[in-house]
Order: sequence, then structure tokens, then C-alpha cells
Amino acid sequence: MHKISTSVIKKDHAAKMGGSAYYVGDYPSKGVLHSSFIRSPHAHARIRKVHYPALPPGYFSVDYRDITGENSVHVVLDDLPVFAQEEVFYIGDAIGMIVGPDAETTAELAAACEVSYEELPAILDINDAETAFFDYHYGRGDTERAFSEADHVFEEDFETGYQEQAYLEPQGMIAQVENDVLTVRGSLQCPYYVHRATAKATGLPTERIRIVQEVTGGGFGGKEAYPSLLAAQLGVAALKAKGQAVRCIFGRREDMEFTSKRHPSRCHYRVAVKEGRVTAMEIDVRFNSGAFTTLSPVVLQRGIIASPGVYNVENLQVRGRALRTHTVPNGAYRGFGAPQTFFAVELMMDHIAASLGQDPLEFKRANLAKQGDATSTSGRYHFPVPLPEMIERVLAASDYANKRAAYAAPQDSLYRKGIGLSLWFHGAGFTGAGERDLIKAVVALEKNAAGQVEILTANTDMGQGVKTTFSKIVAHELGIPYEDIIIHNPDTSRVPDSGPTAASRSLMVVGELLRRAAIRLKEEWCEGQPQRIEEHYTHPDYLVPFNLETFSGDAYPTFAWGVGVVELGFDTLTGANEVLGSWSCFDIGTLADEAIAVGQMEGGVLQGLGYSSMEQMAIDGRGRIRNNSYSDYLIPTSVDVPQLEVQMHVCEYPGGPYGAKGAGELPLVGIPAAFIAAAEQALGVRGINHIPLTAEETLDYLSGSQHGKDKESVR
Amino acid sequence: MVNSMVQTPKGKEGDTLAPKTLEAALASLAQEGAIPYAGGTDLMVAEDERRPFLFLHNIAELQGFSEDDEYYRLGAGLTYTRIMNDKRMPALLVEAASQIAAPAIRNAGTIGGNIANASPKADSALVLVATDSLVRLVSAAGERVIPIGQFLVGRQKTTRRPDELLVEILMPKRWLADYRFTKVGGRKALAISRVSFAGLFAAESGVIQHLALAFGAVEDTIVRRPQIDGLLIGKSVEEARALSEEWLAAWDAAITPLRGRVSARYRKQVCLNLAAAFLKSRLESTD
Repeated sequence: MHKISTSVIKKDHAAKMGGSAYYVGDYPSKGVLHSSFIRSPHAHARIRKVHYPALPPGYFSVDYRDITGENSVHVVLDDLPVFAQEEVFYIGDAIGMIVGPDAETTAELAAACEVSYEELPAILDINDAETAFFDYHYGRGDTERAFSEADHVFEEDFETGYQEQAYLEPQGMIAQVENDVLTVRGSLQCPYYVHRATAKATGLPTERIRIVQEVTGGGFGGKEAYPSLLAAQLGVAALKAKGQAVRCIFGRREDMEFTSKRHPSRCHYRVAVKEGRVTAMEIDVRFNSGAFTTLSPVVLQRGIIASPGVYNVENLQVRGRALRTHTVPNGAYRGFGAPQTFFAVELMMDHIAASLGQDPLEFKRANLAKQGDATSTSGRYHFPVPLPEMIERVLAASDYANKRAAYAAPQDSLYRKGIGLSLWFHGAGFTGAGERDLIKAVVALEKNAAGQVEILTANTDMGQGVKTTFSKIVAHELGIPYEDIIIHNPDTSRVPDSGPTAASRSLMVVGELLRRAAIRLKEEWCEGQPQRIEEHYTHPDYLVPFNLETFSGDAYPTFAWGVGVVELGFDTLTGANEVLGSWSCFDIGTLADEAIAVGQMEGGVLQGLGYSSMEQMAIDGRGRIRNNSYSDYLIPTSVDVPQLEVQMHVCEYPGGPYGAKGAGELPLVGIPAAFIAAAEQALGVRGINHIPLTAEETLDYLSGSQHGKDKESVR
Repeated sequence: MVNSMVQTPKGKEGDTLAPKTLEAALASLAQEGAIPYAGGTDLMVAEDERRPFLFLHNIAELQGFSEDDEYYRLGAGLTYTRIMNDKRMPALLVEAASQIAAPAIRNAGTIGGNIANASPKADSALVLVATDSLVRLVSAAGERVIPIGQFLVGRQKTTRRPDELLVEILMPKRWLADYRFTKVGGRKALAISRVSFAGLFAAESGVIQHLALAFGAVEDTIVRRPQIDGLLIGKSVEEARALSEEWLAAWDAAITPLRGRVSARYRKQVCLNLAAAFLKSRLESTD
């Protein structure tokens, strides 16, 4: 184990365990203005008239007419308005806000607003969608020929549902104009995303906007883009509030119903096999974008790049669409498009193997990509593909082969078992040339006269531990105590733009910049003198340039790898399942901190298990999300996974600090396929091609009424 | 120990609405028309802070446990944690209590509150219905003991008068030896029952002495039909086998599930699966 991997006490440990950590909701709520949203109850409607009730002194309304900049939230394409103007496009679309000194009163006044609507046809299901916000195509080789020469051709459809990030702390912000500067404090992942969105909506020059991240109680992607909308709305309100602070802390129901979730998906796979090898894949991926584009293009890009899985597929045609529906805009959630396509491709490979009478693992092994092979986008696997060694470790830990054989025998007892395995990667960092062309990360180190060193980056700690790992890196290079490293929550008036906290990039990209900055600071160290060192991103020179038009080149500088086994038991009387065990092996390169890394892996696996089983979110016939509370949207408790084992395989990445690479998203990505593979074995069926798998459907599978056919279910 | 953990969001010790004796509680109930507040685990989420609450956690008379030849007598204020940790408690009740919610809620929630809230999904109430338990209701004017089936009459509806308190539960000891309890939730903890089942069985010399099934979370009240189970009581194993289809068909006809988080069809199927499997296993073990 590398020296850096030895765990330390996390920088935020004492504050969080002692209860002194200060979240945005902890700011005094007296003496500030509260806000309540006026939201559309219709999935799609024209706004005829908005009639505000008489507002008591000290209360005011905010809507599109108050926007001093553009009525557009900067994300990627900027089509999401700050406030609806003529039309609403999903239930919850914000028409305006009521702001004032008492929270109950603002809520009552918002509820008393009379908005007259002309209802318009709403598209709720991607099968009915007419508009593809994005329609990407890419491929390589000659699929037509490969299919014509194939021994076998297989075709299947797959479906995945919503997943809610379920962070502990809901979305929340406070905005206030102080000394001519608009300050927005909040629970957020990406301070500079919020900064740019606030500038665009308010029209203020960037130097008059300050974004401060407060202690953030979980994000998982849910606080990557949504805070840009909330900050734009609150920023506009704060300008109207003339110096008073305006506060908005979501309740759980508002948060679950109206903020972004994982894109529901439908995938169609057609696969050619010749002499036991996959020779071609034709893949059609459809994501439910929701009402606006927000992060959908980048989520879709990652999803389709991952769609052929970890296999070397010489002939490939991929189409990916993000379709418009009149539902809440979907966004980032750990894995970012990849869990959907890995679910499809891994089950597809299982089913092909079964049809050929082969063991799924043997079939997968025979088709694995290896170092030097082309990636789906005709880049290269520049570094070793460690899956074969990782598979061996997981097989040993889980006793997979014996269990798989035992459960394959006919099961006729009231309790049935199954075990499944899946293989996956996660492209580390931003897709394509985003780091070089868009982000251009900058970090700084500031040393004070006492020799303490402060880390200045825009990256946020939302529980994943970057404050700790960044500090360890800098302390290690400087040879000074970890305790002498200072790191605060980012404040855009102090930190350079080191890019968003997303895409499993923080440690690999920003951590490496900090390592280099620390090396320079050490070389230039002047005892007793304040010093500042800046470091700028440089693009790895070995990369095949990525072209987003043609989806060609290296989409990622390297990959993190995962192997997962899930063992399930089913009660045949009730259809209920339980996870009997979960064994995984992950390669995230060198561990920047062992306890943090293992904790991240365990948490991600558990989210993957929840996504597969109990995390069911559906919309009703009017487009309303019905599960907007934790009584109705269940996530796993600690009791739900009695045995969850992760192993770490270290395959060093030369571009990351001490060989570290992207970690955060990896563990979730491939778990659903292993889960359903286990379910299929236990229930003795093939073709459970969707998640989540409910107890209700399980009973149907057991009684044979769903055998082998696709089910219309979640959107 | 457990009592000291009970949260008191309104009223504090010595307050007229947090009385220390049953007598004082009944007196204030007669006058104030307050809502009895035991563990508060249902009332806290109801978000209605304007109602006057009568806090019961200081009343020692509600915390008792005793048994005689015929009954276990449980104070209505016993928390699930107390029930789980007391070795004298009937195993069936302990099993149900241990699957309710999570430790923090079990430390506060009480068996009396679970019944008086009158949810058809209440897991301990299901056990009390299956065992034909009685409840003792006391008011300043007097007291009455009635079968729980006459107490729970609808969703959130009981026959408790506003001046009465549910004070004690009397659980018959006679048929508790052989039981099954099954809770179907969406996960293993902190789960509201989607279907719940309790069954009791007794046989002697190959003849069925007792059979009692109860189903929770399927209708507005917990379902118990002694006349259906009565079809098999007094019958030999052979006779019961011959009658088992008729018995199951009667249950099929008797249960009219509501749809909710799961479909009515699923609820019905699980009820029948659990009933059939329970009977089958008991007849096999009686052979």
C-alpha cells in the first residue's frame, strides 16, 4: 500500500461528529426573508394570467418580470428558464415566488396566487416523445457485414427507472446583496457553475457575485446543476429585496418532487456472435430528459460511450437520444448515464451466453477488451485492463462458482437463491476534451508566515472527503504535518476555478494539480514568508484527440474498473427479496485514503442495490411524481445488507496523484446487472430486463405469468 | 431508562398535560378533551401542533406487566423496546415488535399507541387481533373490557370515547405455542407493512383444536374471520386436508384488499399464499 493510503482523521470529522458543522439551514432564520414558490400543477399548460393576492407590507412577489439579466439558467444549452413566462413544461415548473418575513405567511400567499392555465397536451412517456433534444450516432467497423456473417443474432430491450439522490440535506440557499456584491450561500457541488448561472440571470458583472459553499450534506450529482436554477431564482429575489437576505430551504417533498433525478432509460440491443465472439453490436439508447436539456447531453454521451461495456466489439453502431417529456428535468446522479447502459449490456451478455449454452462469465471473459485494444470510440485502452485478476478475487471471496452451480439445480423450496456477476468500467473524469477546452482548471496554494498552507480550489466536500485527500497530498509533498494544511469550503471570491465537483475528477485531476503545486512550493519555499503558487491544467499528451461530432478518440484519459457479485434470496410466498451478500472488487488506482475509498465503494454498491430493488419512483397519469417522501421512496437501511464486502485492486494511473484515478461514481454502475442476473437465476427465468424489480413482479415471474416477456412499467 | 428517552415536544413534567397518575390523566381527559400522546411516533408526523396533547409517559400505571392463568396483562404504555427486552413476554408479540420501524422508534412507540392509532398496518395490533385479545378502557366514570375487534372499527377509528384511556391489553395465553408471523415490507427496517400475517394453530391427537388467522394492511381494518377458521376446528388432519380448498376459497372471498403502495391483486395473492402455506406446514407437522 502506498504511504498516502494510510487513513487519517478526516478534516471535517470533528465538526460533523460534534455537531458544530454549519449547514445553510443552520443560519438564523429570524431577520431574513423567506420564500415560497408558485409552481405549476400541470405538466404542460399555457399561462393565461397570474393574479397575486394583496400582499401585506414587507412581502413581495418575484417572477420573470423581475429578472435583470436573461431568463435562462446557464447549464449547457441554457433552455431552462429561471421563471416560466408563457408556458409551463412540467409539474413544479416555477412561475414565481412570494418573499417575506414569515415562512408560514409566504407559503399561504403563494398558495393563494391564482394562476389561470390553458392545459396543453402533455407527453409523459418517452415512447410517445416527439422531440429528441439530442440524437447522437457513432460507430466503427462494418456492422452490416458482421450481422450477415454472424452465427447467431440476438435482440433484446432493457429499461431502467428513476433514481432519487436522497441526500440527507435537502437543497437550500441564502442570497443577499452586501456592499454591492450578491452573495449566494448554499448546499452545492459546483460553485463556479452557480456563479455563471447567477451572473447570467442577474446581469451582474462577475466580480459582483460571490458564491459560497456551505457544509453540504450529500450531493451524489443532485447538487451539480439544480443549485444553478435555485441560485438564479434567489439571486433575482435578493436584488429585489434590497439588501435583505432571502432564504430558501426545501422541505423533503419539494426536493423529491421538483429536483433532478437519474434519467429513466430504454435501450435496444442487437448483437452478432460468430464462433463464440461478439462481432457486432447495434445499440439504441433512449433517455428521458424531462422538460429541459440541463445536463442531458453529457449524461447521454457517457451513457452511449459505455454502451458496449468492457468488451472488444469491432463493429459497432450506436444511436443515443435524450427525449423531451413534460416531466421534471433529469440530471446528474452518480454514474451519469453509465448505470443504464451497463445494466443493458451486462444482461445482454448473460442472456447470449445462456442461449449459447455457455457459462456467462466464460463468455464475457472470451470477449474482454485488453490493453492496446480500441475503445468504443476508437481511442485506446492505454493502460492494463485488470479485470481478469479482479474477477479471480471476487470469485474467491464470494464462492461464486459453487453457488452458481448449486442454484442452477431446480429449486422447489419456498425460499430460492441466485447469484449474478457483472463487469464494468467508469471513464475517469470529464468526457472528451472538456478538461482542456472548457474547464481549464486552476488551483492555488497560499502559505502564511507561520508556514501553514491553505488549499484554494473550487472543489466541494459533500462527504466524499476531498478536503482530507487534498490536504494529505499537499502535506505529503511539502513534508509538513497534515494539521498544518488549511482548507475551507470554497468561496468564489477567494478560490480560483478548478472546475466542478463531478465526473469522478476531483482527486484525479485537481488532486494532481495540487501535488504539482506542492512540489513547486517546496522548491520555492521561503521560511517565514507568505507565498502563493498557482498551477494550471495540462492535457495528457498520449491521448487520441476526442471529436464530439464523430465520437472518436479517447473519451477518457483512463478507466476505473469494477467487478461485482450479488447473491439474493427470494421468499416465494411474498415475492420479497433480500441481499444475502455482495462482493466486489474495484480498481481506482492508488487509494488516496483507504477508509475513505472503501467507504465510497460500499456506499456506491448500496445505492446500486437500492436502484435495482426498492427504489421505485413513478409518475401518475398526470405527470406527477407520487413518491415524494421517504415513506414512499424507500432506500436501503443498514439492515438490508448484512454482508457487503469490497476489495481494492490497485492499478496505478500515471496521470493521477501517486497513481490515483476516478473513484466516486464507479461502485454503483454495474451492480444492477449483477442483481438482476442473480434474480433471474433464483426465479428460473430469463429476461427480467428492467429495474427496479418489485415483489409484485417477482410473484408473477414465479407463477409464470411474466415468463420471458417484457413488461410495460415505469417510465 | 427507556422512558427518559421519550421526547416531549409540548408540556413538561409537572405540567397539567403531562400527569403522573392515571387518575390525574383521566380527570384532565374528562375536562380538556386532549389527544392522548404515548410515544408520539404517529402523532409527531401528523404535523398538527395546535391540538392539546395529554402526555402519558410519566404514568407508572401504564407501564406494568403481569400475568395470571388466563392472560398476559400489558400496560398500554409499554414501548416495543420494553416488550422485546422482557423475557416474560409472549414470543409472537416479541417477534412482531422487533420488526416494527427501527430502534429509535421502538424506544418511543408503545403498544397502546399502536392500537389506538387504529391503522390496519399496525403490526402489534395484528397479533392482538389474531390472539383475540381484550382491551381495558378506563374513564373517570368507570371502566370496560372489550374484545379488540370491537375496539378497532375502521381506519383511524376506534370505539374509545374522548374521556377514556386505553390502559391495558389482555392477551389470552391459551393458543400461543404454535404461531407464524410474517411482515411484508418494502425493506427490512423502517418499513410500513404492505401485507402482514399472523396465524395460530393447535392440535391434539391429530385433531385441530384451534386455528386463527389475521391479515393486516389489506383492508381498512385488520381481517380476522373466526367462522372461516372454524371450518377446520374439531377436524382431523385428513378431514382438514379435504376441506382446505374450501377454507382457502372462503378466505379468498372474505378478503377485499385495497390498492396502495402495492396492488390489490398482489395483496390478495400474498394473503392466500401465506394462509395456504401456514395450514399446509401445520397439517404436515401434525401428521
